[in-house]
Amino acid sequence: MPSSDPPPMAEPLQMNPALVAAQYGAKAKGKQAASTQEASTPAPATAAPEEKKLTGAELKKKKQEEKAARRAQAIASKQVDVASPIAEPSPAAPAPAGSTPAPRTDGQEGARTQQRTAGPVSAGQRNIPVRQKQKAVAPAPIVPGKEDKTVEFFRHLYKTRTTSIAGASKEIHPAILALGLQMSNYTICGSCARLVATLQAFKRVIESYTTPPGNSLTRHLTSHVLSPQIDFLTSCRPISISMGNAIRWLKLEISKVDVDTPESEAKENLCNAIDVFLRERVTFADQIIAQSTADKIKDGDVIMTYAKSSIVQRSLVQAHNAGKKFKVIVVDSRPLHEGKHLATALVGLGMDVKYCLLNGLSHNIQDVTKVLLGAHAMMSNGRLFSRVGTALVAMEANEADKPVIVLCETIKFTERVALDSFVHNEIAPADELVIPGGALTNWENMKKLQLCNPMFDVTPAEYIQMIITESGNVPPTSVPVLHRLGNESQG
Amino acid sequence: MDSTSVSQPYEGSTTPPPLSGHPPALNRMASLGNIPANAKSKSFNIVETYHRLLREDPDLTMPVAAIEALIELLGQSRAVTVYETLDLVKTQSDYLKSRIPNSISLSAGTDLFQRYMINSLKPTSTGNFETVRQHLLSNGRLFVNRAKAARERIAAYGQHFVRDGSVVLTHGGSRVVGTLLGKAAEASKSSGNVRFKVIYVMNDARGSESRAVVSSLRAKGVPVATISEGAVGYAMGKVNLVIMGAEGVVENGGIISRLGTYQIALLAKAAGKPFYVAAESHKFVRLYPLGQYDLGIDQEVIEFTTYDEKASPEMDFVEKTPMANEKEEYFNPAMDMLKLRSIGDAVDFTPPALVSALITESGVLTPSAVSEELISMWYS
Repeated sequence: MPSSDPPPMAEPLQMNPALVAAQYGAKAKGKQAASTQEASTPAPATAAPEEKKLTGAELKKKKQEEKAARRAQAIASKQVDVASPIAEPSPAAPAPAGSTPAPRTDGQEGARTQQRTAGPVSAGQRNIPVRQKQKAVAPAPIVPGKEDKTVEFFRHLYKTRTTSIAGASKEIHPAILALGLQMSNYTICGSCARLVATLQAFKRVIESYTTPPGNSLTRHLTSHVLSPQIDFLTSCRPISISMGNAIRWLKLEISKVDVDTPESEAKENLCNAIDVFLRERVTFADQIIAQSTADKIKDGDVIMTYAKSSIVQRSLVQAHNAGKKFKVIVVDSRPLHEGKHLATALVGLGMDVKYCLLNGLSHNIQDVTKVLLGAHAMMSNGRLFSRVGTALVAMEANEADKPVIVLCETIKFTERVALDSFVHNEIAPADELVIPGGALTNWENMKKLQLCNPMFDVTPAEYIQMIITESGNVPPTSVPVLHRLGNESQG
Repeated sequence: MDSTSVSQPYEGSTTPPPLSGHPPALNRMASLGNIPANAKSKSFNIVETYHRLLREDPDLTMPVAAIEALIELLGQSRAVTVYETLDLVKTQSDYLKSRIPNSISLSAGTDLFQRYMINSLKPTSTGNFETVRQHLLSNGRLFVNRAKAARERIAAYGQHFVRDGSVVLTHGGSRVVGTLLGKAAEASKSSGNVRFKVIYVMNDARGSESRAVVSSLRAKGVPVATISEGAVGYAMGKVNLVIMGAEGVVENGGIISRLGTYQIALLAKAAGKPFYVAAESHKFVRLYPLGQYDLGIDQEVIEFTTYDEKASPEMDFVEKTPMANEKEEYFNPAMDMLKLRSIGDAVDFTPPALVSALITESGVLTPSAVSEELISMWYS
């Protein structure tokens, strides 16, 4: 049953009400309750006799269900023979479903769109659960149907990425537009770089801001000016933990502006506050971390690091400049190959560098004396949230009894906890994994093949010996303490 | 904490930061104030004072002895400004540290005292330096007394870990552990329901100390079995809990203790027995070792050689540690320190994952709580 859609437009009401109720319940809990949807997929083809029993209120809901069902059906196409317990009405169900094949798809697709625009349901509502992935797959001409390429575990993480300024609201500041695009294509990459760039851009926004008459800066700036900018940035790439911390701080700072302060003075104060914040939380913090890390590096050490972290690079360079004699092993992985940049930079300074991919990890780990890792965020349960692959390196190092040291500014600490890397993560476009001309070039048309490209993973706290922060060296258990001191006491 | 970020380069080291605000001025003062201070304290030798204090009072721990020596120094100094005083204490602490082979435990005391001084000198009081100094002196004594009293409180907390019928494994000459077990034995006498036994791991290199601990326990009516270090794994099956002392408790909650503690902790972990550490909170050190060889001291425990210098090491060994004057030898600064270290004074590092809990005078802490305690002590 390849991607067969539910019955044609003429019979959109033929769903079993009980089924709708079941689906509605699932929806209410969370749209992505995929199992329920899977279970219900055979329904449209089977429930024909119960036509026209829906109330008007259910009708709207049903249209959304129908779409979800269609999507789920595509995923579950291979499992359709496993008869669902809810969908028992007609035991003959699979046969008609299987025999209503593809030819319909195109025409029906068109018809549906038409019906949608004409229909009573607003386009906005319609668009809620759309996945970009599916759109990308849509034009596939060879295979009769399109397969859902969304990996089920990460379904909630797929987001449409804004990659052009087309359609951006006019209230988005040009600096933010530029920044958003730079983030979207990884020109600005790395938690700290993005934090700094964001705050600089917000400074420009604040500078060019004038309070409309009848409003006060305190009340207007955050909600009417800053929020759309943040939304736009989020649409380009999900904001990082450190950016979240900084934005929270900035909002607090704005809310503290006295209503009586003249606008120009208030703006200047805010810009100064941003400068001070960046200097204290990033610039000085990096200096201190680099210094204490360089102190930790001894002559004869072999330092392993993964991918590229600006603070790790800085520390290594500082230790090298201090005359320490040590080797570096850079472990790297596809698709971003960030480690290449690090290795190039270090070799350029005349350091002794070895470069390998993740598959060379276990071979190289025995020579290592310390593992230095950068961080995207430190969770309150002491777990490290960092570039995907980090957990592997940490696990391997732990297995070989090598100390794992994380370099992290306290601005990257968060009160959130992470138990796995499914709940909170970022999914990058799967096409990044495809080597042009390689075996996967045509992956979108390969049946039953899904690609998943998560950006981050979570390293258990037990693998981490030490976190070097600007407030000293702490064990992972002290993350919440420093977070409290650093990020929440800044009132 | 943002306001202190200027001084934070110093936070990673074991020395506390200088007074925030005027580091250059402090440095200038340091060079000027140094000369008279050193000249005045010529008569006062901090290393000798430290050794004398340790000798006079066998109950004194190294950090407390260091603090007391610093207080004596303060009492004799003619320094007239705050900076001068701070600088004097700092230089003398560093000097003391450099002259003691294993300065880890000692540095806990000097660091704590310097931190305490900076805190108490901070609110630039009325200008009369003499009152500030007197205040420091009297409070410093208070500090020493409190540190001594800590042992009793630890014993009071810790005795409840020793249950009726339990077998406690311990080693080393920790006075805290001694007090704790003594207290538990007293409790068993008065209430009559705590009967416990002790397995004591003998240390060949410090035989007299081991024997003293064992006989003092036996004198209190506690049945003691003595085993050699090689028999720990064999004995672990009979043990209910392990209680150890520590020279220093490091930032991540691990401990630095007499050589041999680490292996006992590993065996206890493997056998699933709780491993408790009894230590006063003035033993918390600003140090974060990543492993055995990252303690910041040079112990020549492992020495490869092809030169067979001793025909019979055991005989030589006995000659080297005569029971009677062992202590004297230890406190004789002229002695060959490296040799001494490799025999009986070496330490190892037990990582926090092997420690079940730390019994301190402020309560029973998990290893991770040590870091929080230190953070609140140093960043508040």
